[in-house]
Amino acid sequence: MRAFRGEPSIYSDAQPAKRQAELKIENLTLSFGGLMALHDVSLEVKNGEFLSIIGPNGAGKTSLLNCITGFYHPQKGRILFNGEDITGLHPHEVTKRGIGRTFQNIELFPGMTVLANIFLARHLYCNYSFAKASFFSRSVKEEEVKHRRIVEEIIDFLEMQPIRKKLVGSLPYGLRKRVELGRALALEPKLLILDEPFAGMTLEEKEDMVRFLREINTRWNQTTILVEHDMAVVMSISERIIVLNFGEKIAEGPPDVIKNHPEVIKAYLGEEA
Amino acid sequence: MKIKAEYLSQLKMYTIPQILYKQAELLRDRVALRKKCLGRWETVSWKEYLNFVKHVGLGLYSLGIRRGDHVAIIMDNQPEWLFSELGAQAMGAVTLNLFTSSIAKELSVMINRFGAKVVIAQDQEQVDKLLEVRDEIKDVVKVIYVDPTGMSFYKDPWLLSFKELLDLGKELETKEPDLFEKELWKGKKEDINLMMMTSGTTGIPKLAMLKHENFVDMALKWIESAPIEVGDNWISITPPAWIVDQMWGIGVAILSGMVMNFPEMQETLAEDYREIGPSITITSSRFWEDLASKIRVKIDDSGFIKRKFYEWGLKIGTRVTDLESKKKDVPFILRLLKGIFRYIVYRPLLDRVGCLHIKAAVTGGHPISPDVIRFFRSIGLNLKHAYGLTEGCGVFQVQPDDEVKPETVGKPLPRTEIKISEDNEILVKSPSLFVGYYKDEEATKKALENGYLHTGDAGYIDEDGHLIVIGRKEEIMRLKGGEAFSPDFIETRLKFSPYIKEAVVFGEERDYVTGFICIDFGNVGSWAEARMIPYTTYTDLSQQKPVEELILSEVRRINNELPKPMRLKKILLLYKMLDPDDEELTRTGKVRRKFVYQRYIDLVEAMYAGKDEIEVTGKVQYRDGHVGTITTKVRILDVEPIEQ
Repeated sequence: MRAFRGEPSIYSDAQPAKRQAELKIENLTLSFGGLMALHDVSLEVKNGEFLSIIGPNGAGKTSLLNCITGFYHPQKGRILFNGEDITGLHPHEVTKRGIGRTFQNIELFPGMTVLANIFLARHLYCNYSFAKASFFSRSVKEEEVKHRRIVEEIIDFLEMQPIRKKLVGSLPYGLRKRVELGRALALEPKLLILDEPFAGMTLEEKEDMVRFLREINTRWNQTTILVEHDMAVVMSISERIIVLNFGEKIAEGPPDVIKNHPEVIKAYLGEEA
Repeated sequence: MKIKAEYLSQLKMYTIPQILYKQAELLRDRVALRKKCLGRWETVSWKEYLNFVKHVGLGLYSLGIRRGDHVAIIMDNQPEWLFSELGAQAMGAVTLNLFTSSIAKELSVMINRFGAKVVIAQDQEQVDKLLEVRDEIKDVVKVIYVDPTGMSFYKDPWLLSFKELLDLGKELETKEPDLFEKELWKGKKEDINLMMMTSGTTGIPKLAMLKHENFVDMALKWIESAPIEVGDNWISITPPAWIVDQMWGIGVAILSGMVMNFPEMQETLAEDYREIGPSITITSSRFWEDLASKIRVKIDDSGFIKRKFYEWGLKIGTRVTDLESKKKDVPFILRLLKGIFRYIVYRPLLDRVGCLHIKAAVTGGHPISPDVIRFFRSIGLNLKHAYGLTEGCGVFQVQPDDEVKPETVGKPLPRTEIKISEDNEILVKSPSLFVGYYKDEEATKKALENGYLHTGDAGYIDEDGHLIVIGRKEEIMRLKGGEAFSPDFIETRLKFSPYIKEAVVFGEERDYVTGFICIDFGNVGSWAEARMIPYTTYTDLSQQKPVEELILSEVRRINNELPKPMRLKKILLLYKMLDPDDEELTRTGKVRRKFVYQRYIDLVEAMYAGKDEIEVTGKVQYRDGHVGTITTKVRILDVEPIEQ
């Protein structure tokens, strides 16, 4: 019954200790040939925090995310997740340690349904062997049912029931972004990384997205890093903001400090001649 | 399985919650409710149903709700709606359902008028509205919300979640285990249990008071006249603030043991409808019209073979239905073919739209195009017309199974008496009639006279005893001889023809009915092209001889479905389309009859003067404000001879 829901079990049943997420980046430097994408960037994300990273185009925001999730390997510096050094690990190894992300350009399987796309993330938690799966034994079925329930709870939470069985390729852009968030949540990430989830959305879709993100962060203490261009959104949901410009961190602080920070204004508006 | 009639007739002496208590003993673990959540249909058995009702009832009791108190419900279709309603009623409270789409101001007005002590709301959206008008609804002591999504940020003690309400109920049950039954059996069948908003066209809606007895009687009428069995499916889609789902949810379903099914959400309705495949469904004519056009569009998109089979099937089905409705014998070969097509076309098609298990499909409200009815009947769906009112506790007229006439709303259900007053108003007498309007003696007196309900609709009874509703009483016009006719009724039917775009009917204080017809330029144009009839403009096409013949045959066909005094005697095809720019239509597309009458008075007079032809010079206003003139001859066409 509806009355007893609205609480995805990946959150409501999880022990806080298991969802602990602390990220520490020390002196990270990344360059492509002569181009310096990140230069000596250090930052820290505390457990349960909502951190936003902003900056003009080419500031190195996505590069930073790609370093954390193992797509790029930095030349210098260290990335520590819950005390473990994850610098240089492959993306799938990073995912196993509890970091889930969405992509700027939506990386879903357009020929598969919404349900199947989200289901895919549960692969991480499948314990049965290939042999058992081939015969679809009872234990396999039971496990699949368990995962299906978790996926359905996410679909319910993100209000995607009407598109459950639609092909992702047939969906509008804003909804695809939502599906991608659903897939990231199905990973049960300790740290959720969102790369421009609001780009190309209508106002209504943005409002929905803010609602979801606020709920998982404030109610369920989901540690989140957000990279976003929409300042109104960033200012309204972030606890702390980091500003990058040309690969360097130029400012850090709560929204009202960042709004009036001279360096930030300079980076965004340019200097008076 | 059907519940025995003797057993059901014993239930007449109980209230609705008491009947639920009895049914829970009889039907125990059978399914009572189904709700789709998390992608699957969750069920509630009759025993669980009663338990929920008990806990909601006791929960409300511990919030201070006592016999005679009022509880307002602002909810969509979901099991919690029934739990709340019956829980409150079990404690002797009276409930009222409000629309979830109402704005805050409307809600506060209705809540105050009703005097609600507790409001049970759907979700954050409804709670926000109530918080907005909190200062105006001072009598409300608690607001309960059903859906907890997004509610974790609200820390107001005025609010309570549905879960907490149930917990309160459970707590009170352990403290006083007998309390629920003690309160339950205090109820009497004559008690008012529910108020319904009536669709007020002017001012604030009135509140019609209904009692337990009304619902029991209405339910028994349906069970007696329709093939309803235990476990049959009803899908709850009309808002609970309307009578249809109330009549079913706390009437028919509880007495007959039917299952109430609740879709996952509004947007998944089509899919959920198909998964359930309801046994009986009552919806607006709009639903069927949309469904018919959806089927046609899908068929047009399908492959050649499918399309051909569909066309053959439809042709055969229509032939058989036409013969049957004229009560003629159907040749063996046609019957055989229909039997075959039943399995290769009709049933797969009905399955696709979720209508395979329908025993009775009922349409109400606005008149439905006879073509739509014929279409569904020829593919084997038992679609029929019904008529009812909130004040009558739902539907009281349905077409009997074996004699469906497209233009009527059928015969009265058992124990219902229909009378036509001298001024053509439909009067109804039945045990399910409402008690009166809440705090409005005058309106009650007007609506109920000598035990008859004044419906405000005009109509008449045809030779077979079928009722025909012709429209609202105030819109009725009279011929010189005093016979009533409804222009709207005639025009609506004329417009069902694909070749007629607009029609305006005259006849007030005249000898007979006449009308202007505007042809549908697109459809008539392609009809003419297919017959190699050359034409230039709308004016030219409308005055072509073959077009006149086409429209005449359409009007004659429609005339046959109309009662004698309403039949059109003369028509003319107007040389231009009626247009809002010429102030002939309102911006919403309704005909401004009086204006048209005055503007074209020469044409109208010519029809009554017995002329064959009239020359006209009409003014046409172009978009840029520039006025042009059209000079043309318009022929007056005789539809049928005028009786002297």
